[in-house]
Amino acid sequence: MTMVPGKTELRRGLLLLSMALILSILIGISVGGTRVTGSSFFEGERVARLIVLQIRLPRVLVAGCVGAILAMSGATFQTLLRNPLADPFVLGVSGGAACAAAIATALGFGRIPGALALIAFGGALAATFVVLMVSRRHGSVDSARLLLAGLVLNALFSALILLALSVLRGGDLTMALRWMMGTFFASTVAEAEVLGIALTIAMGALWWISRDLRLLSFGEEDARARGVNTERTKVIAFIAASLATGAAVSAGGIIGFVGLLTPHFVRRFWSSDYRISMPLAALAGAVLLILADALSRVVVAPAELPVGALTALLGVPFFLMLVRRSA
Amino acid sequence: MLMRLEAVDFRYGGGTTALSGIDVSFGAGELVCVAGRNGSGKSTLLRLMSRIIDPTRGTIWFDGEPVSTIDRRMFARSVGYLAQNPTVAFPATALEIVLSGRSAYLARFGWETPADLELAHAALASCDVDRLAGRYLDEMSGGEKKRVFLARVLVGAPRVVLLDEPLAALDFAHVEQLLGLLRRIVVERKCSVIFVSHDLSWSSACADRVLVLDDGKLVGDGPPERVLTVENIEKHFGFKAQRVAGAEGRQWIVPYLP
Repeated sequence: MTMVPGKTELRRGLLLLSMALILSILIGISVGGTRVTGSSFFEGERVARLIVLQIRLPRVLVAGCVGAILAMSGATFQTLLRNPLADPFVLGVSGGAACAAAIATALGFGRIPGALALIAFGGALAATFVVLMVSRRHGSVDSARLLLAGLVLNALFSALILLALSVLRGGDLTMALRWMMGTFFASTVAEAEVLGIALTIAMGALWWISRDLRLLSFGEEDARARGVNTERTKVIAFIAASLATGAAVSAGGIIGFVGLLTPHFVRRFWSSDYRISMPLAALAGAVLLILADALSRVVVAPAELPVGALTALLGVPFFLMLVRRSA
Repeated sequence: MLMRLEAVDFRYGGGTTALSGIDVSFGAGELVCVAGRNGSGKSTLLRLMSRIIDPTRGTIWFDGEPVSTIDRRMFARSVGYLAQNPTVAFPATALEIVLSGRSAYLARFGWETPADLELAHAALASCDVDRLAGRYLDEMSGGEKKRVFLARVLVGAPRVVLLDEPLAALDFAHVEQLLGLLRRIVVERKCSVIFVSHDLSWSSACADRVLVLDDGKLVGDGPPERVLTVENIEKHFGFKAQRVAGAEGRQWIVPYLP
């Protein structure tokens, strides 16, 4: 039978990356400051079980969901804006979410369950709106303006977060610092649940419009001429990506470059068709962040590095290479 | 009558009128050139006909129905549009690009079938670019890119093909090749091909019919020899021209330089 590009690539990619995900989860729950062997875990040793199930597993799940969300949002922003440099961090969307969460905590809303994710979503959406308003020119998004708007917004959000930090004390301060640094230290099952829901809703919505988003990568007019309701598609995509990014930031803080790196990787090895690149980027993002988090726990064990610093170390050279290439 | 525009106006948001009072019909099996100076409304006409934009006033009919009552995806199966400079945001092969031209036939979660693949190869072959199927767009010449995107339009089996300046930036050999291809599409597929061009000479020699737009109004519609007269060209295009008789009764238009 003749092989049609598309579905086959997606299947192969899903299979390969699912195996990589399982492997990365196993690595994620095996490494850390305290040594836990397979035998001690399976023989029912209480401490070993506690470390793996109560500490490492929630953390791995949160890292996986955050990675998936950031990569999925990156793939979506890049397709929507037809720009390979777009990603939730570069655009200031993550910054907006963190800023909203930090201010909400300073105002005393930090302890209401689920509220932070929603407030962060609001911040993400507002940042998306502003960055688009500034960078749109004659109906299309200008790369230079996009980067500049993201840069300036990120500076503003950093300043606002610092202001919020100055009034915070105790547990709230630690939590707010987590958003600044990007870390999965003290991740909880409850956080993983919120993230799981956000990821499912956003991915469902994006999959629902994936046929039309794929056409948007050929340009808005082209998509309209092919029968796509472009306005509706764009609104759904921006809201879904912002909702998910808000949830990811409220749990893991600002983690850069995952949303930039993974869609490129997926497009390079599989396809630039959004129907393929979005789900595969989500899986690859989960793998990347679970592994980066595992690495952040062992490099200077028993202390740990903020995972955001690691992804930045990995992502910045790559980003510079992209800027150079697109210039 | 395949497509008809009835008293169509289009104004931009700022109030500038791009087209006004356009009445024109298109039948099946015509090769039509839309000519006019820069800013005369040629591209706007094509964008209206492909429903990228909607008219401010008037009605566009397709197959006896106002287009506003036709489902957009169904309409997209019948009318294919190619922009002047089509691009892709990310690297894609010619085959992937052409396959995406079947999108209007896909169910929401549907994927292209082997039948679509066959059609894609046939469309690439009809544009003489089948050998480029696996090649990435940025590894192609301007002429090759245009033909790949034309194949993307044709793979959707449209009855009306709208092309915005398909001849721009092509050398003579490629212009001749592309116009030959457009003629073949008209004859073999019995569809209407409507293309915008600044090249009056090629249009006059090869099109069945020429529409002339001037300042948003339709000022000429008919066979090239009747519409593209020396007087009309001076009046609506702003230069002195002369007609030169070519082989097989073709009329070429060249600038008149004393």
